[in-house]
Amino acid sequence: MPANLLEASPYGVPMAEKTPLLLEGLQALSKHHQHHCLAYQRLLGSEAGLYKQLSELPFLTVPLFKQRQLKSISEGDVFKVLTSSGTTGTVPSRIYLDAETAKLQSRVLVKIMQEWLGKQRLPMLIWDSPNVIQNRTSFSARGAGIQGLSFLGRYHTYALNDDMSLNIPAIEAFFERFGSEPVFMFGFTFMVWKFGLQALKDQGFRFNFQNAVLIHSGGWKKLEDEAVSANTFNTTAKAMLGQLRVHNFYGMVEQVGSIFVACEEGHLHCPSYADVLVREPGSWQVQAHGQAGVLQVLSLLPRSYPGHSLLTEDRGRILGEDNCACGRKGKYFEVLGRMAKVEARGCSDTFDGSGSTTGAAE
Amino acid sequence: MSFHVVNPTATEPQLAAFADPLALAYCKALSHALLHEPTARPHSDLIALGYWLRPANIERILSPYRDFGLRPLGHVFHAAPGNVDSLFVYSGILSVLCGNLNTIRLSDKAGGSAEVLCGLVQNLATNHPEVSGRFQIIRSNRDAAELIQLQKHIDGRVLWGSNEGIQALRQRPIPAHARELTFANKLSFAVISSKAVITAKPNELQQLAINFARDNLTFAQQACSSAKVIVWRGEKENTAQAKQLFWQALSTFLISDEGQSKYPLTESEHYRALNNAQDLVMAGIVSRVQTCGGYIRVAGKGLHQTLVNSHQGCGLFVEVAITELEELTSELTAEHQTMSYWGISEMEVSNWLRTCLIGIDRAVPIGKALDFNVVWDGIDLIRAFSRQL
Repeated sequence: MPANLLEASPYGVPMAEKTPLLLEGLQALSKHHQHHCLAYQRLLGSEAGLYKQLSELPFLTVPLFKQRQLKSISEGDVFKVLTSSGTTGTVPSRIYLDAETAKLQSRVLVKIMQEWLGKQRLPMLIWDSPNVIQNRTSFSARGAGIQGLSFLGRYHTYALNDDMSLNIPAIEAFFERFGSEPVFMFGFTFMVWKFGLQALKDQGFRFNFQNAVLIHSGGWKKLEDEAVSANTFNTTAKAMLGQLRVHNFYGMVEQVGSIFVACEEGHLHCPSYADVLVREPGSWQVQAHGQAGVLQVLSLLPRSYPGHSLLTEDRGRILGEDNCACGRKGKYFEVLGRMAKVEARGCSDTFDGSGSTTGAAE
Repeated sequence: MSFHVVNPTATEPQLAAFADPLALAYCKALSHALLHEPTARPHSDLIALGYWLRPANIERILSPYRDFGLRPLGHVFHAAPGNVDSLFVYSGILSVLCGNLNTIRLSDKAGGSAEVLCGLVQNLATNHPEVSGRFQIIRSNRDAAELIQLQKHIDGRVLWGSNEGIQALRQRPIPAHARELTFANKLSFAVISSKAVITAKPNELQQLAINFARDNLTFAQQACSSAKVIVWRGEKENTAQAKQLFWQALSTFLISDEGQSKYPLTESEHYRALNNAQDLVMAGIVSRVQTCGGYIRVAGKGLHQTLVNSHQGCGLFVEVAITELEELTSELTAEHQTMSYWGISEMEVSNWLRTCLIGIDRAVPIGKALDFNVVWDGIDLIRAFSRQL
């Protein structure tokens, strides 16, 4: 039994060993944030902070990170600020990391990704444009994602130009040099599909990589609008790029350490450092495995800001624990998309602005 | 979105006299349509509107004004709110009954029952061309050129909505003589006597829960007159017990089939209420979030004016405890609108209100908060839509 989950292998700890350690760690984090973040303290009130099960841990709704500045460190200890990409006109989330949390995040990311990529740093083809990481002071979710995964690769090559068109010479050069050895490809689901796979198809290009892993993330919403399933995505990726293993992952900028990668069975897996619960909207009670509801994500990493237990805006369902056919331990689940948004009605009616955030002056 | 008239007519609309027979006939026809049309049935606000439009009720509303020699104002432009889909009919129809020509712009967000209403109003255009011409409903951008042009020639403007929305619409010039009425976002609250709850019979408590739900969960608690704050009036010991009894009764009603079908909140509305509650707690305005299935309770300290803009409805109730109504007096502002009450006599309420010089535009028993009153936000709409000789 590992003494510290953060040192454990990502998919090797069974429930009986994981749960008590996770509970202990999350409980300590709740207490820590209660002492270091006034807003969090207000929310917990006089709660003693002794939780007997994971489901008793208090959770924050994700939009709070857009509505207020939540951190448990002093201004001087802010090492970097992650921001969500957000749609136009909305306020992005702001996630404050100190050096320690940032280091932990990188370490855990490497551990998780090595499971899917192997220990070698592979040549890396990025399905995005190089300007997405140009602004280094404020990391957008896309930029931060690429930045974060970049140090798992070498010989970084951007497959797209700044105008999101295919950079065919760059892809060809990458293919000629590394096409027959293991390579790592990364991109955001929609970008890979629209500006990568679709563009290759339209322009009649195909590459036959011999041993590639494509990791992608960022949500299926836009693809579902175009009626593209995970299956279509994977089949098309193989048709356009050759011998390819495709892994989607689910995660959010608001919770560092929560990277849920889909296995060969297509199931999203909780690593040892994170977990998920499903809650029923309204009562917010935890649902049994198999029942759909709103996903709550838990992570041992967020120490610089109170993001260790979050109620997401995504719906999902837990499929099982410790018994996935892929052999990995831990809970596995599927994401069923965003909750259907309703129009903010309020009295912000005769005004055409779409103000739904608290007190945000239009 | 272009400039689109929902119920166009071929005839040139004319001003009419107060309580013109054609207008009365139009009300009757619309009432009949609302009460008999199957598509209107699921919308409780449309049924209420159907009853309100019945000839006897319209006569009851108009008769006190018949001897004043009221004459129409002229052309009135109404900007309807998006939170209460059917509200535009109440103010629009009153203005029609005053003899005015009316152009009503629906909010882009108007949906649900507003769609049904538009369909019914459209159907009436053929048989009621004169009155339809005086009751023109439009859908357009707020900044549509036609709308800006129209406002240059009106005699009255009625703006419902948020403070920002009203200020934005106010930027459009209207003639110097034109009258303007604004109905901004306001905060409403309910006062419940703890002692009365404790001594209530089970059926009385159940009725209170039903009436409370009607006031505050129709339109997902977004109507201005729906209570956002619950004020418990009574001794401390009584209040603790009363809260328990009341919320239990409300929960029981809300999980019943009737409660479920009448006041469904969507997943994202539940989420929004929870997020709103957590945000308000973090801001230090309220404390202690308790989720209770269909609604959320938080503890507050007073009537907090900040709640006017920061409270987003969706079943979030801020609870405050007082021992005497007088404790609220100093907290009232011009932004406090409806006080609904239960277990407190009308006499006691009106005696107290007589001492309040600021705030509260109306006081009604719980269950009547959403009823439309001809006097709204302290303005007599019939007089405001007319000129008195």
